[in-house]
Amino acid sequence: VVLLAGCNGGTVDRHALTNDTATLDSIASDGALLAHNAARGKTTINFTREQAKALKIQASNFADALAKRSALASIKQRVRAKAKDASTLAAVLDRLQEDPSDREVATAAEQELSKLGGCP
Amino acid sequence: VSKVFGLALGILAAIGGFVDIGDLVFNTAAGATFGYELAWVIPIGVLGIIVYSEMCGRVAAVSGMAVFDAIRERVGFKAALGALVSSEVVNLMTLACEIGGVAIALQLLSGLPYRWLILIAVVAFVVIIWVTSFEWIERLFGYGGLCMLVFAVAAVKAGPDWAEVGKGFVPHIAQNDPALYLYFVIGLLGAAMTPYEVYFYSSGGVEEEWGPKDIGMNRANAIVGYGLGGTLSIALMIVGATVFLGHGISPEHLGTIALGSGDTLGKFGLLIALVGILFAVGGASIDTVFAGAYNLAQFCGWEWGRYRSPRGAPRFTLTWFVLLVLAMGIVMTGVDPVVLTEYAVIFSVVALPLTYLPILLVANDRAYMGRYGNGRLANVLGVIYLVVIMVVAVTAIPLLILTNTGQN
Repeated sequence: VVLLAGCNGGTVDRHALTNDTATLDSIASDGALLAHNAARGKTTINFTREQAKALKIQASNFADALAKRSALASIKQRVRAKAKDASTLAAVLDRLQEDPSDREVATAAEQELSKLGGCP
Repeated sequence: VSKVFGLALGILAAIGGFVDIGDLVFNTAAGATFGYELAWVIPIGVLGIIVYSEMCGRVAAVSGMAVFDAIRERVGFKAALGALVSSEVVNLMTLACEIGGVAIALQLLSGLPYRWLILIAVVAFVVIIWVTSFEWIERLFGYGGLCMLVFAVAAVKAGPDWAEVGKGFVPHIAQNDPALYLYFVIGLLGAAMTPYEVYFYSSGGVEEEWGPKDIGMNRANAIVGYGLGGTLSIALMIVGATVFLGHGISPEHLGTIALGSGDTLGKFGLLIALVGILFAVGGASIDTVFAGAYNLAQFCGWEWGRYRSPRGAPRFTLTWFVLLVLAMGIVMTGVDPVVLTEYAVIFSVVALPLTYLPILLVANDRAYMGRYGNGRLANVLGVIYLVVIMVVAVTAIPLLILTNTGQN
């Protein structure tokens, strides 16, 4: 699962961290776009729930992998910080999944996810 | 009326075969990563599949030979066995991706559990193939898949910079990350010229008993059908560029691709996109499972075809059933269909030369083709594409490794 999530195995080096960071930003931005559309009634409840769930699982896999994998000493702190970011991301997506019809939840999720993803 | 039905074969091949999960993934991801810079690859891929589909359709119409008949006769047993094994492996991978794609589309529409939907999809395919005629399968998936046109509407409504889109059709190499750029070039070509399309197309022509009088219809099928598919590929790339690139999104889920339409056209656009994906990927599942059964039956010299009853072609029937069950088993393991799609497309590129070379040889053989053999234009294009395919086949795996499956 870790491999398929694009996390690679083994020790996290700078290159892997850069890739994982980019993927996490993409997941957050993807979630922000979903929340943006959900907040404006442009999605269905089923779609919002299932899409948020898919993104949440991806973020959770990253959170687990980044928290557990060994990392180069010079970047260990950054790797663990990314693991926390991934957990936060998963938690926000979980709220969206649990309340797919609530536009206020979606609006709040959009703001948080935009911030996490560094959306323009 | 029969001409309209004939064209349905082309529409099915275009929507169900051309726009499959591979096209959805690679075209949208290419737009989201490089904007319109890779647009030039799409017409090249579309022309390639038109050239070879027209050729294999003509061979089917004149000689009654489908692609694997030609392969078996032309490249010898060992090479044909190699082609069979590689094509069946790629077909099975592709089928698993398509079934997974159907289940994901159903899940996004219904909210039901994914694994149950995989089972439901496979049972539905068995029932449809068993009880429905070839014509009705064409109609069901061909016309249902036309919902994919919503992506063309979304692409226009998204308001791309058409001058930039136009510039994308001028072939060039991107300065930014050329290895990843070339990986996408290969993926886009592979998605456009995937081998199962010609297996299905030529065998469908034999099933429909095309004769020399149908050569004009075959040409129209190939040009209109695949041309339509190519337009949709461009639309997917534009949606990827306009909706996802600016947000920094790398679309790794089918739901994200559908959201590209929803973001532009609202809830209705989202639903139509999901239905379109369902039918396009469902049609591609049928094409792929038939292609796998056709290949094995033609290689072994068995009775084959949907125009025979299941009892009339028992080993052919057993083959498509087993392929469906095996593909279901693969998807049930939990493998991500989108990730698997990338591998399936890249591996299919490696199998391309063994598929297309025999078609070119037979289409040039006057003993089979008489006065319907390749003309100068078909030969020039055929040889150029064969060279392109060989170069692409050799570089596909190294680029897959070098770019970490396009992740870099």
